Amino acid sequence: MKRSPIVAVGTVVGLASVLSFHSTPVKLNLSPVASSSSPATTTTPSTTTTAGSTTGPTSATTTTSLAPTTTTTTASVTGVHTATGPLVNYYYGQLSVKVTANGKKITAVTIGSISDGGNPRSVSIDQYAIPILEPEVLAAQSSSIQSVSGASYTSAGFQMSLQYALKSLHI
Amino acid sequence: MSDVVTTTRRLIEVMGTVVTIDLFGEVDPAQTDAALERVEKSLHDVDRVFSTYKPTSALSRLRRGEVALGETPPEVADVLDLCQRAKTLSAGWFDPWSLPGGVDPTGFVKGWAAQRALDELRELPLFGAIVNAAGDIASFGGPAPGVVFRTGIVRPDDPQRLAAVVQLHGALATSGETQRGAHLYNPFSHEYFTAVASASVAGPDLGVCDALATALSVGGHDVLALIDQLDGYDAMTIDADGSMRATPSFAFVRN
Repeated sequence: MKRSPIVAVGTVVGLASVLSFHSTPVKLNLSPVASSSSPATTTTPSTTTTAGSTTGPTSATTTTSLAPTTTTTTASVTGVHTATGPLVNYYYGQLSVKVTANGKKITAVTIGSISDGGNPRSVSIDQYAIPILEPEVLAAQSSSIQSVSGASYTSAGFQMSLQYALKSLHI
Repeated sequence: MSDVVTTTRRLIEVMGTVVTIDLFGEVDPAQTDAALERVEKSLHDVDRVFSTYKPTSALSRLRRGEVALGETPPEVADVLDLCQRAKTLSAGWFDPWSLPGGVDPTGFVKGWAAQRALDELRELPLFGAIVNAAGDIASFGGPAPGVVFRTGIVRPDDPQRLAAVVQLHGALATSGETQRGAHLYNPFSHEYFTAVASASVAGPDLGVCDALATALSVGGHDVLALIDQLDGYDAMTIDADGSMRATPSFAFVRN
């Protein structure tokens, strides 16, 4: 079926100036950032005490090893738990991923912290709530949308921090 | 979302990302849980077979030449066959065989897996359902009887804002370099390069949409013209200068 010609449908205002800033490819370094990166785990509420050594949020120690086994959560599988993965390098700087779970179910994945070395993207990225997982944020701009396409959080850095956060929650 | 329809959400961590399942309609909890468990299993099964990050996956072993195609689970041959069709549809712009390191159908598999997972939900008495695999979306039905889903397509420079809102009739995949750590591979120039900042493809099948979005991202406006010739598929691009183009039937919601 032959259709009419492709149409120019408009312009995303202000896009050119922002994109041009990032025209230089940045090398992706996958190694976790060594210093402030011990996986932090908090458990709320931690009403259940169970067998085994329970290690509270305050016991997270700074360690050069990023193995998630260095952080122990309570053995409880109920209640709301939050864990933040280590800072990892990503395309524009460094980020950590924060996961919230109720028992074994993930209820939210957000950016725990992000820095991008003075890159002006930080102004917008700092407000990230992971659009694909929090479409309500976007829905507020445009009434009645049920999903969001194009926010593809599949970068290696994002995955890495996510994995650590999930492991520290034993999910 | 101010309607009163009951919605159920499940997040599944798989394939290096998080897949969101949204169900619209009154559901029986036990029946829903059983269906969602099948969805989860389906996605994890795909990851186990097709992950290029897992050295033990059938695909990784095939890529290293340790096994022949006939020794892998049958879905590997199925997927490669579907990839061959997507390569033909895209006039070679989507080409899993051109990638350095051996055949890599990843650009098709995520969408295919989400589409396949969606099928596990069809028996539920729902108004509609959405499987969103990191921004690539498979769906059926709508949020309420007689209502069509609406999807926002994010701006490539700022995922917190929308470039467009579209009606979702089936599947929608968006490819862009902004959220990724690497550029896409151009099978003709053999370089990592994208021609447009954002490329979206809508159509009945998310695997095909995913492959065509990859092709569109790499091939740019030439591929847009090509998709315009395909029945059932529509596409939109956003250039680095912010200008947007679309095939005439692309289902924009114009407020």
